[in-house]
Amino acid sequence: MKSFFLKDMQYRRARVVLTSLGITVLISLILLLGGIMNGMRIQAQQYVKSTGADIWISAEGSGGAFIGFSLLIEENMAPLNTRRELKEGSLSPLIFAQARPIIRGKSTKAIVVGYMTDKYGGPKQVLDGEGRMFKSSEFQDYRPEDPIPLEVIVDEKMGLEIGEQITIGTEAVKVVGKTSSLMFVLDTPLIFMDVRVAQKVLLGNYPRVNMMIAKANENREPEKVAAFFDAEEKMEARTMNQTLDDIIAYYVDEPMKAVQFLRVMLWIVAGLLVGMITYVTMLEKTQEIGVLKAIGASNSYVMTHLLKQVALISVVGVTIGFCLAYVFAAAAPIFVAINLVESIIVAGISFIVCCGSGYLAARKVIMVDPLIAFRGEIDGGMFRHSPTVAYSDAS
Amino acid sequence: MTAIIEGIGLTKRFGYGDAAVVAIDSVDIRIDERELVMIMGDSGCGKTTLISLLGCILTPDAGELRIDGEEIDLTGQDLSLIRRQKIGFVFQLFHLLPYLTALENVMVAMDIAKTDKSEAEDRSIELLTRVGLSDRLHHRPAQMSGGEKQRVSFARALANRPKVIFADEPTANLDSRQSDNLMNLIQELRQEHQTTVVIVTHHEGLKENADRIVYMKDGKVITS
Ligand SMILES: Nc1ncnc2c1ncn2[C@@H]1O[C@H](COP(=O)(O)OP(=O)(O)O)[C@@H](O)[C@H]1O
Ligand SMILES: [Mg+2]
Repeated sequence: MKSFFLKDMQYRRARVVLTSLGITVLISLILLLGGIMNGMRIQAQQYVKSTGADIWISAEGSGGAFIGFSLLIEENMAPLNTRRELKEGSLSPLIFAQARPIIRGKSTKAIVVGYMTDKYGGPKQVLDGEGRMFKSSEFQDYRPEDPIPLEVIVDEKMGLEIGEQITIGTEAVKVVGKTSSLMFVLDTPLIFMDVRVAQKVLLGNYPRVNMMIAKANENREPEKVAAFFDAEEKMEARTMNQTLDDIIAYYVDEPMKAVQFLRVMLWIVAGLLVGMITYVTMLEKTQEIGVLKAIGASNSYVMTHLLKQVALISVVGVTIGFCLAYVFAAAAPIFVAINLVESIIVAGISFIVCCGSGYLAARKVIMVDPLIAFRGEIDGGMFRHSPTVAYSDAS
Repeated sequence: MTAIIEGIGLTKRFGYGDAAVVAIDSVDIRIDERELVMIMGDSGCGKTTLISLLGCILTPDAGELRIDGEEIDLTGQDLSLIRRQKIGFVFQLFHLLPYLTALENVMVAMDIAKTDKSEAEDRSIELLTRVGLSDRLHHRPAQMSGGEKQRVSFARALANRPKVIFADEPTANLDSRQSDNLMNLIQELRQEHQTTVVIVTHHEGLKENADRIVYMKDGKVITS
């Protein structure tokens, strides 16, 4: 025979299902929001990590390579090439700029990355069978008169064909290859090109770059090198980890503060929902609880009976919500990466919140006076005495 | 005769100040083992309150209570233990749990007393068969007549082998044939189970079943 608490729940199944459903939706939203933020964090980091550069230099006052506006004059940076702190030949010019390329007549969101293929900052090859690398400029130093083919390679997920023309700034460029996907925050694709091409299409051929990236010499700690360069005038320098922290703070954590707040609110709502429904359900059960107590049930017996129900509803709601979050994540129009460990912790906390509020409601209701068993049915309006008797506790 | 329940100077007030009602006013009462006592009196005279006090559902504001030779500590201790070990209740409105079958409604009383499940099931079937409901074991309260529900309720009251059963107007919601049947059943059961029975009623017709009748008026016992 099934346990009494299961029978009780079966009898009130509509309410049980509704409560679970409410928890399900709230939990999946909480997890989904976490997944969205986590996805943003992953995307914020993946390009910078892929470069392998551990020294990121930007213009003085920019606040960091990805934070403020940074333009460096390439020539002024050239002396860094000879510095012992850096690995020989590792200093690389880099342009990383938001752009609105026109693709098939439509203005599209993308980031232009200009780099040198024999240095740091972008892919060294395209995906197998997906075209070829762009042709690099012959001279590494600045020569505006150099003829240079306007070629780019694009993220495989952009859906562009090889040979297709797109417009960046005022120039038409040609897609010659595809790279494995490496989106920036909020699914922003990267378009890679030679740094000279980037200067041509975005900067009117001026010898400027947004940043210089490099690798610290093997016998130097990147932290010390970055701090040393940072102390110099005309530039700011960060390590890769500092740069990643900056990007996450600037592109994810700050703008997502409201979402964090919303997550906490959703938790509170989930707790209130369970608490309220449990409380209302239990008020309806006052008579039954009074009868149970009259026939000898202790408070802890009644409490256990009620808590088993609350716990089962919460477990079912949280578990389905957990699964549903993954379904939502797959269906979401943006990159969502639900972190398994984090979401198990979140689900655990949600379970505790739901049970806790159910417990508070139950604790109030079990104080019912067993005397109520001698009175009429509550909804039958058969109180011969004062209706307050139903809720009086053992005063 | 040994007393199974003894109340001395029991007093119970409801409400405070001007609105205070003295529902039970220094009542002395003694109920002997295996007696069938009926409590009668006008509506509002305190019958329900009195059996609630004797059945450890309410604690008195003053007075002493002895059950089965034991002094009951009335200073706020949890009386549920005494209720499940020594006392059975039958209510006017049956108060069976709507989500349980007749069998489960009897079993739940034994579950409360932590009786082993299979033992509880056997005893519940036995009791329900005894009260003539062997073909109603798996019916829910909503599928049973008032008379049947009240018999389930008696089976539930007997489940934990109580010393005393208190029944508050058990026949008030039954027709006269059902209430005669119930009364006969109570007579048989109390012989078989050696149980003391206290019945609150205003059915004059039931009087002949009682060993003794306690009359109440305005919270006091007037004759017994
Ligand atoms: N919980 C309560 N709160 C306030 N007054 C009550 C309560 N229970 C009973 N009373 C009052 O106590 C008196 C006795 O009630 P009760 O014992 O129910 O009478 P009876 O069962 O004889 O009809 C009545 O005046 C009633 O209004
Ligand atoms: Mg009464």
